[in-house]
Amino acid sequence: MDINPEFNKYMDRYFDFLGYWESPSRCGLKTIKRKDGKRLAIATEIYRQNPGTAVTEWCAPLATQVLAEQKCNPADFIFIEHTPDMGSKLAFYEETFDLVNFHWDGDKFIDPQWKRLSPPEVDRLLEL
Amino acid sequence: MKFKLIYPRWEKLEGQTTFYLPPHGPVVMAAEIPDDVEVEFTDENVEELVIDGNCDFVGISTMLTTQVKRGWQIADQYRALGKKVIMGGISTMLHAEEAMLHADSVFLGEVEGRLKQVFDDFKKNDLKKIYNFLNKPPDMNLIGPARRDILKKDLYYHKGFRMVDLFHASRGCIYDCYPCAVRYLGGRGFRPRPIDRVVEELSQMDNNRLFIVDNSLALDTQWEKDLFKAMIPLKKKWVSHTIEDKDEVLDLAAQAGAWYVYQAVFDTSDYIKNRIKQYHNYGIAVEGTILLGLDNQTEDDIKRLVDFLLEIELDLAEFTVLAPFPHTKAYSDLLKQGRIFDTDWNHYNAGKVVYHPKHMSADRLQELYQYAWDTFYKDEPQTMKMFNLINTVVSREVADGTYAPRRRDLANESFGKKVITVS
Repeated sequence: MDINPEFNKYMDRYFDFLGYWESPSRCGLKTIKRKDGKRLAIATEIYRQNPGTAVTEWCAPLATQVLAEQKCNPADFIFIEHTPDMGSKLAFYEETFDLVNFHWDGDKFIDPQWKRLSPPEVDRLLEL
Repeated sequence: MKFKLIYPRWEKLEGQTTFYLPPHGPVVMAAEIPDDVEVEFTDENVEELVIDGNCDFVGISTMLTTQVKRGWQIADQYRALGKKVIMGGISTMLHAEEAMLHADSVFLGEVEGRLKQVFDDFKKNDLKKIYNFLNKPPDMNLIGPARRDILKKDLYYHKGFRMVDLFHASRGCIYDCYPCAVRYLGGRGFRPRPIDRVVEELSQMDNNRLFIVDNSLALDTQWEKDLFKAMIPLKKKWVSHTIEDKDEVLDLAAQAGAWYVYQAVFDTSDYIKNRIKQYHNYGIAVEGTILLGLDNQTEDDIKRLVDFLLEIELDLAEFTVLAPFPHTKAYSDLLKQGRIFDTDWNHYNAGKVVYHPKHMSADRLQELYQYAWDTFYKDEPQTMKMFNLINTVVSREVADGTYAPRRRDLANESFGKKVITVS
């Protein structure tokens, strides 16, 4: 299963992070500053191109790391998880988007809660 | 110095034929323990574990998630006696943070070339809280023969018939399947053992029947063919997960002693039907592994799948319900959707529904799981189908002179316990 090139719409670059037990890990990443001043980040699971921890499993520390890179206020940060369509006939490898809401504990995100988004909803969030 | 190595027990699935195979993780681990350390091994599934102070250091090896809570309980009891405890193995890696609450030390990753440091640290009273070798696979040349001498072999017989021994020819997997944690476990990428090392180990094994436990042998055609060619003179008879369905591979596999393979059956397609037929054409039997409760399955799909299994004449079938083990995509997806309702790891035995299925209730999936077992084995019970498979291998062994007769001295025992006979 190769990554569907169409997902580049939601990914500008690779982002390296240390996952569980300091495992070298990689995801796709797109970050934009929206018209309303908020930062939006889309982290894409890249499956076989990710040597370590999955985005979902590490989303709170990953979002914290992206936030630090973007140097923005946690309240103005929007984090979306993206799994691309893997071209598999198995339904669990279809494209999905989830808006992840966290609790900010003073120096890091914790307690992720996911809310499924449709592609048009994601596109609207990108345009705001 | 005495090292007590323990393989904790777990509760077997209700209603299924129970058998016990000699575990693989502990014997692979034991091969790396320094020579000056005395190893005493207890497989709690086949013998009683006596927890006492008669050892210096304790190791607990776990493979299954449904084993970890018992492992932690044992660790707690030994630590209460003042003994240092280290835990390792696949499910310890999956539950490492919890394991750290119960053990003095947790080992993550593969052991080759790494245990001398652990035992040196123990002797210096400087055991580290964690030995982290995840994603740092060892040189495959370092993997020598497993130490099967630590096993009490007589405990792995049923009425005089010896169970298969477990063996591995490779590690890792190139795939990242939905219910599998191989990526987290550092298994990304296929790492075959050098074939001469594989043959060296196989030729030392006194059991003619093996279960090759590799994730999949079908990941490198040339290596697979070379492996089977090298195995032909050994005359072993073996079970494995999937092998490639190319004619030249199946032909060599059959010559190398392929007895039966586990084949995932996930739909009712001609692809599956033809694949089973192709194995059968080469005299290789098939045990279907059928995962129930995936999001693309309705009640009708499950019933149709069971009918299909009977139609394609599978030799055996093993039904499981999806268990969202930590560090799998299944876990991530169900966690995101808030569908996991049971986090008691004892229930993660692939026979109990611990999440809300998409197209039915959890109770209904539990019923369909039972329906699948009952329906598939209605006309010919599981024990009879297994007996047929054993007859096949016995006739092949008789033909090539490798048949080892049933042990008469163990004819009235089953996995170390006296068999109760009804007259």
